[in-house]
Amino acid sequence: MNKTDKSDSYNNNRRKILKAGAAAGAAVFAPYIRTAKAAPVEINILSWYGLGEPDMVAEFEEANNVKFKPKYYAGGDNMLAALAQSPPGTFDLIHTDAEYARILIERGDLVDALDPADYPFDDMLHEDFTKFPGHWKDGKLYSVICRYGHLGVSYNTDALTQAEAMSYNAFWSPKLAGKVGHFDWHLPNLGEISLLNGNTSPSPFDIDKAAWDKVKEKTLSLKPQVKGYFDYGGTFASLKNGEILACAGIGDWVTAVVAKDGGKVASVVPDEGGIQWTESYSIVSSSKKKDLVNKYIQYCLSPEGQVKSANMAAYPGFVVTQGGENALIKATPDEAKRSGQMPGLANNPITLINEGKIHYRDTPKQQTLEDWNDFWSEYKNA
Amino acid sequence: MLWRAPLLIWQILFFVVPLFFLVYLSFWVVKNYRMTPALDPVNWIKMLSRDYFWSAYGLTLTMATVAALLVSLLAFPAAYTLAFKVSARVRQLAVFVLIIPFFTSYLVRIYAWQTLLAENGVINAFFSLLNLGPFTMLNTPIGTMVGYIALTLPLVVILQTISLANIDRSLVEAAHNLGCGKLRTILTVIIPLAKNGIIIGMVFCFILSFGDFVSPYYLGGSKPPTLSILIIDTTKAGQQWPKAAVVAITMIVTLFIVAIAAVAAAYKRPGTR
Amino acid sequence: MISFKSILLRCYVVLVFAVVFAPIIASFVFSFNSDRFPTVPLGSFTTHWYQQVISDSEFWEAFRNSAITAICTAIVATIIGFSAAYTDYRYQFFGKSVYLALGLLPPTIPLVIFGLAMLAWLSRLGMSGQSYSVFLAHVVMCTPFAMAIIRLRLSQMDESLEAAAWNLGASHWSALRHVVLPFVRPAIISALCLTAAVSFDEFAVAWFVSGLNKTVPVVVLEILQGQVDPRINAIGTFVFLTSMTLVVISQVFLLTRTTKS
Repeated sequence: MNKTDKSDSYNNNRRKILKAGAAAGAAVFAPYIRTAKAAPVEINILSWYGLGEPDMVAEFEEANNVKFKPKYYAGGDNMLAALAQSPPGTFDLIHTDAEYARILIERGDLVDALDPADYPFDDMLHEDFTKFPGHWKDGKLYSVICRYGHLGVSYNTDALTQAEAMSYNAFWSPKLAGKVGHFDWHLPNLGEISLLNGNTSPSPFDIDKAAWDKVKEKTLSLKPQVKGYFDYGGTFASLKNGEILACAGIGDWVTAVVAKDGGKVASVVPDEGGIQWTESYSIVSSSKKKDLVNKYIQYCLSPEGQVKSANMAAYPGFVVTQGGENALIKATPDEAKRSGQMPGLANNPITLINEGKIHYRDTPKQQTLEDWNDFWSEYKNA
Repeated sequence: MLWRAPLLIWQILFFVVPLFFLVYLSFWVVKNYRMTPALDPVNWIKMLSRDYFWSAYGLTLTMATVAALLVSLLAFPAAYTLAFKVSARVRQLAVFVLIIPFFTSYLVRIYAWQTLLAENGVINAFFSLLNLGPFTMLNTPIGTMVGYIALTLPLVVILQTISLANIDRSLVEAAHNLGCGKLRTILTVIIPLAKNGIIIGMVFCFILSFGDFVSPYYLGGSKPPTLSILIIDTTKAGQQWPKAAVVAITMIVTLFIVAIAAVAAAYKRPGTR
Repeated sequence: MISFKSILLRCYVVLVFAVVFAPIIASFVFSFNSDRFPTVPLGSFTTHWYQQVISDSEFWEAFRNSAITAICTAIVATIIGFSAAYTDYRYQFFGKSVYLALGLLPPTIPLVIFGLAMLAWLSRLGMSGQSYSVFLAHVVMCTPFAMAIIRLRLSQMDESLEAAAWNLGASHWSALRHVVLPFVRPAIISALCLTAAVSFDEFAVAWFVSGLNKTVPVVVLEILQGQVDPRINAIGTFVFLTSMTLVVISQVFLLTRTTKS
């Protein structure tokens, strides 16, 4: 298995070998043959599922002779655990939710300060994106927003009309008995119930003890309706095959993919308001490839990177820049229209933010994350 | 000593020490997402005082017990047939074939069950031909149970077959000659003689089901969650590894008690009952 | 009348086999099915999922990780298993039952728990997420199988055989090499194959400790958690073929012994 001895003829034959369909031997050697060519630089990325898949990174890999090696996690706590359990230097780039970026930054020694001039902050679609809560510390930028999305009521269009779905109360509808699913993470679910209880100011995540007790009580009353608690894969499959007819804690990021696959599902931001998930990139301090990583972040914020993100196979995210929106309307007008990413549409995400209907997802302010998680376990066992 | 060393060194370094480290870990404290070594019983107190912990505990215990009984019952007619009704060659071939799936990608098989059990899946399509159903099986305890069966049935059939095939035939014949009916022979002669194999099959089924997290998650919709899911949930939740360690240790202790009790029952001398 | 009951019982056996093998067959069929969520009637025939898997460099890298881990695990676990089985066969000593328990207990510990313990311990040592992390854990899990298979074979060896070689002036080592090893060779090959199969299939502990060095089952688990699609079935075909081949070879070598003795 001496890779340096493999001559170039192997490289030329590589495609043929792979196409020929791979005996076990070829299977073992194939990666060597691939890397023998020019030994691309490896970038280790810790991210949500899909961010390191070919549809996102292949072009950049080709142009810069790099190879992304993704480690996928589900949920910010999971990300923190993965980071804590790996030796320093394991990861170069972290893709994370804004509220967990805040935790990374608070730690002080995990991620590097960035130069705002490197990114198109003057082209952001919303002022908030340029100074997103938690991304700045002591006047320094540590994390750059790259995509976002809205969470509300996701439903099967055969089971509910859009009008019915315009309130979280729909989850309690007798039509959905035993057919409501939960994305298995407390923050988005409890955030939505908190909105239903009217906790909009200052935030559904900033609630006092009395309001928190009410959220718990309301959540528990949903239990008889619940089919199960699913990870992304499970949510996706259950919506597609009709196991569940509505799902809390998710939004277009799931239903768009299911719909693309022929499922009759949609998502709305109901009248009580919606939750925003916000994803951003940070550069790990112990990385030795910071320049390259930074170049990739710039690529993700470029119009072409934004179009890729908005059409990402695993789950789409809204564009954050004007340049991205223009490119999206040009490249995939149908997707731009469907997701409201055009000026003047009623479901335009920026309009929704400006109308005050959107609340940024956050960690609980007056309780600990442990309290919320504890209750979530209790609810699942109720 | 030379021959003993490799196993001792490896298993102590990478089996015994990690498990004891888990015990130590259960006394650590977590502050601001960072674990700090300590000797604080707070995780034990918090975890053991939670209702949801005990309901998950009861559920897991029940599910694993039901699986052990159900799988043993399902396996017995097959093992009986393989032991008594077919030639030794066929029996050997059957065991040979049954061993294969036990070592063959459990994950992929569970995914296949997901598509088979779904509301518009293959099994319900079959039922609808008979004008039945659709039945809800996926994301219910039935789904979890199907997963447990898929995991353990081949193993239990093998263990039962071997222990039944080793029964002294003359004892069975003697029972027949004494006018003992078929069913009575099975109940009073065959089963007591094959007791050890049957109990060991049950214990293995119990152990494997008790610790499995794939079936309850991907076939049971983690509703309600079992202890193994609780472990995974807890590790995901803000670095609560020490609490997950508490759950893990409780599970190991339970398994040891069950295994020791079962082995004691299996090897109890006849006449003491 | 006997025949009716026997036929019924035989049908039941066939049913049990059908239930056991249904998912494997289903997975194979679905891997060629165009629908993402297979229903009846099936969609059209496609090799799309295979093409996707074959052209995915991440899969090949995982396959390589799995293969290397399985081979290393098989060799080391079989060596340790042999030495432990030989210890049990040849020596009596104080605490032997504890020693044997140490060898045979690992499969009774739930995978989640062992994974958790292993990750906590290895990350304490700074050894988690390395290319060898999965290997370290898999040796623990595979050794009992190797030990059991080789011990079984040793128990069929005439105890006086080795002693006779000693009496004829053979050293301990050469008696081992020329008498014991040839006799247990089929069991060793059997153990190598079976432990490789166990390692190749193991997903839970590998998921905990593998970090970026994912093995094939970890990739399957990630697809299951992420974007579920029939790529799992296509990968499944590779995995089934590999582990079935290994388990079959393993058993053939075990059975050669039975028929000979």
